[in-house]
Amino acid sequence: MAQHEVEISISKSGEVKVHVKNVKGKACLEYAQWLTDVVGKVKDKQLTSEYYEPEVKARIDLHQDLRVEDDSA
Amino acid sequence: MSTVLILAPVIVSSWPAIAVAAAGAASALGFTVKQTVQDALQENEVEEQEQSVEVELADSEVLAQNLATDQQMVLTKGGVQITVGRDARGRCKVCATGKGHSKVELEQMAQQFTEKLTQCFIYDRVVRELKTKNFQVVNEEVMQDESVRIHVRRWVD
Repeated sequence: MAQHEVEISISKSGEVKVHVKNVKGKACLEYAQWLTDVVGKVKDKQLTSEYYEPEVKARIDLHQDLRVEDDSA
Repeated sequence: MSTVLILAPVIVSSWPAIAVAAAGAASALGFTVKQTVQDALQENEVEEQEQSVEVELADSEVLAQNLATDQQMVLTKGGVQITVGRDARGRCKVCATGKGHSKVELEQMAQQFTEKLTQCFIYDRVVRELKTKNFQVVNEEVMQDESVRIHVRRWVD
């Protein structure tokens, strides 16, 4: 499981600064769009290096070695 | 880090949600809600020397279906009265009236109230939406510059 974090700062005039953390790739854009719909309109947007990193996919490889032991030896 | 967004607030909502934000702003700025609009109007007729200033929320729209024409909120603090309502174009307007205050002072008060109303409205909306997305509040604090900082997180598969 991944932990997504958002830091939101609402200024005294109602302007909102949103910092989406630990969210990579397309999911990051989805958060940005969702928060834009909630608040109003985009004034400025900065994509950081993490945005361009591939989304993390968890994969577990299982290997099982089958060995027949020869008891006659 | 992933993304940093700066968002300008737009208030498009029905009257009840705006009234809640106005009540929040009133409470934060020390205003009290008057019982009826009629009381305020009658007092205004008597006190003719009062100055009055109107401020309009540029990016706002009060959805008309829930708002009767006389529906507005009247707030008082000292000798100043603030009225929150909807203008003919459907925008939210804030009107400051008071005796013994200059137009500049009243405009400043109306502006301050408008900002607080916007902040309260956006705060309510953001917190409600965060809950629907199952975010947990890690920390929330009011900073020295009167901004509100909310730190939330959630776990996703």
